[in-house]
Amino acid sequence: MDLLQDVLSFLANNIFNEVAILIGLIALVGLLLQRKPSEEVVAGTLRATIGIYILFIGVEVFVGGLVAFQTIVASAVGLEPPAATATLADFLTNHGGTVALVITVAFLVHVLAVRLFNTRYVYLTGHLMFWISVVVTAALVQSFGDLSQWTLVLAGALIVAAYWTVQPLYIAPLMRRVIGSDDWGYGHTSSAAAWIAGKAGPAVGSREKHDTENLKLPRQLSFFKDVNVSTALVIGVIMLVAMAFADATVLSEQAAGYNANMNPWIWGIVSALRFAAGIAILLFGVRMFLAEIVPAFKGISEKLIPGSRPALDCPTVFPFAPTAVMVGFLASTVVFLILMAVFAGIGWFVLVPPMIMLFFPGGAAGVFGNALGGWRGAVIGGAVNGLFLAVGQALMWGALSDTAPELATLADPDWYIITFLIMGVSAPFGGGDPAAMIWVATAIIVVAVAVWVFILKRKGLERPTESVGEPGSALEEVGGPEEVLHRR
Amino acid sequence: MNRKGIDEPIKVITVCGVGMGSSLILRMTAEKALSEMGVKARVEATDLSSAKSMAADVILGQEMHTDQLDGAAPVVVGITNFMDTEGLKQKLEGPLREQGWLE
Repeated sequence: MDLLQDVLSFLANNIFNEVAILIGLIALVGLLLQRKPSEEVVAGTLRATIGIYILFIGVEVFVGGLVAFQTIVASAVGLEPPAATATLADFLTNHGGTVALVITVAFLVHVLAVRLFNTRYVYLTGHLMFWISVVVTAALVQSFGDLSQWTLVLAGALIVAAYWTVQPLYIAPLMRRVIGSDDWGYGHTSSAAAWIAGKAGPAVGSREKHDTENLKLPRQLSFFKDVNVSTALVIGVIMLVAMAFADATVLSEQAAGYNANMNPWIWGIVSALRFAAGIAILLFGVRMFLAEIVPAFKGISEKLIPGSRPALDCPTVFPFAPTAVMVGFLASTVVFLILMAVFAGIGWFVLVPPMIMLFFPGGAAGVFGNALGGWRGAVIGGAVNGLFLAVGQALMWGALSDTAPELATLADPDWYIITFLIMGVSAPFGGGDPAAMIWVATAIIVVAVAVWVFILKRKGLERPTESVGEPGSALEEVGGPEEVLHRR
Repeated sequence: MNRKGIDEPIKVITVCGVGMGSSLILRMTAEKALSEMGVKARVEATDLSSAKSMAADVILGQEMHTDQLDGAAPVVVGITNFMDTEGLKQKLEGPLREQGWLE
């Protein structure tokens, strides 16, 4: 009995709590399931593990740049920088193992749900599978405190799986209008902004009359497509402007903290570059472990659910209206920067422009808006995304201030909705025993999503042209690529 | 003599904005297409910033990105549908033959 206890506690402390080892194991199982040659299994497992450590280093560099930016901009507008009692790095260290298990369990639950409820779309956007698991875990820990790991894993996995199942499904009718086929679904956490753009589109215009692809945008804008460049540039410019107005003591203190001999202005530029570099490192780490894990997820879903369609990342819609991407991105950025000034002016919050989230979700909302409402739809889509990101960041920072506040600056629209949904549903049960109450909140969310899936499927069945998920028809359409080629 | 694409792998990179979502899906499509064509290749997904420094033989990505990567590799192909294996095979056949990487 004691031996069993020892083994279990060894596993809990050394394997399930150590995110890098856990991710390595998940990758190992995935590579073995794909029957990869042994040298690739070893290399892939190591790459996935190293990816996690790179992610940690990236988070550290990014947070350093973030704090510098927030401190200087806050000082320039006479506000306190956003406060927090915890950091994303600590959260990933303490709860990273839980997050890794949430991804795995949630994927299995999701595949089961797609198979059982015949919902067609399997979520395969790897980095968002990771981040949504982080967000849901953080929101649960923030709401219910530190519960046992398996409670968090199971409750988190159920909520995450519910989201992965319903998100591609509810946006599917619009997605088919955008890509003109059902070859793949939309699996991205910008879905709320994209959906609003698509729904608002017909009210403001039409693709036939106002297609963005008839517009000519200045070529110089194209460098914004490289998010490393746009992040460094925009953060750098705002940083330098803010430094001109910031308190001199704050400024020299911050600069001296980095390097006592450095000129504060150079420090400002260095900080902005480090901010961008931190995000690039962070993304590189995530990319390294995803490259080993996502193919296994894809293989598993294709085996278990023949005829299913993958729900994919937002850039898969970009080729259908590249100019709309830029229109959506610009509208997003303009709205965000205006709100940044407004929030600072009224003394509410010091926002950080999240260039990646302004570009990708903004661009996607632009494409959805254009498909149903031309350039006016694209502008509205982008603007809605900018609004989501500004208001969301200001609210979510405080909401997650005891777990991982930096998530607020890395978030897409759906992250905010999910966080506030979990915290809102959990709030009334704050008084009871958290270990029991977490199940009440989880049950409410999962049942609500199940009802939603049921309604979406009924609607789909009533309109056969937009039928959602019939395995027979899915199999028949496997010869789809030729069709797509002809259309092009 | 070791012939590229036939005896030793060519280096293919798939590109998207940050190198982890759509480029990874494209990597799997490209691996399938190239193996069906009988071309030996190692495929890697990456982001726009890194693509230029990777000395690849073939770059695949959506036109929005490949436009900016002209000349960064001997073969640069723009794609629209990230899942379309057949379409990718058709697009690759000519250029790969031209380079002598496809028999």
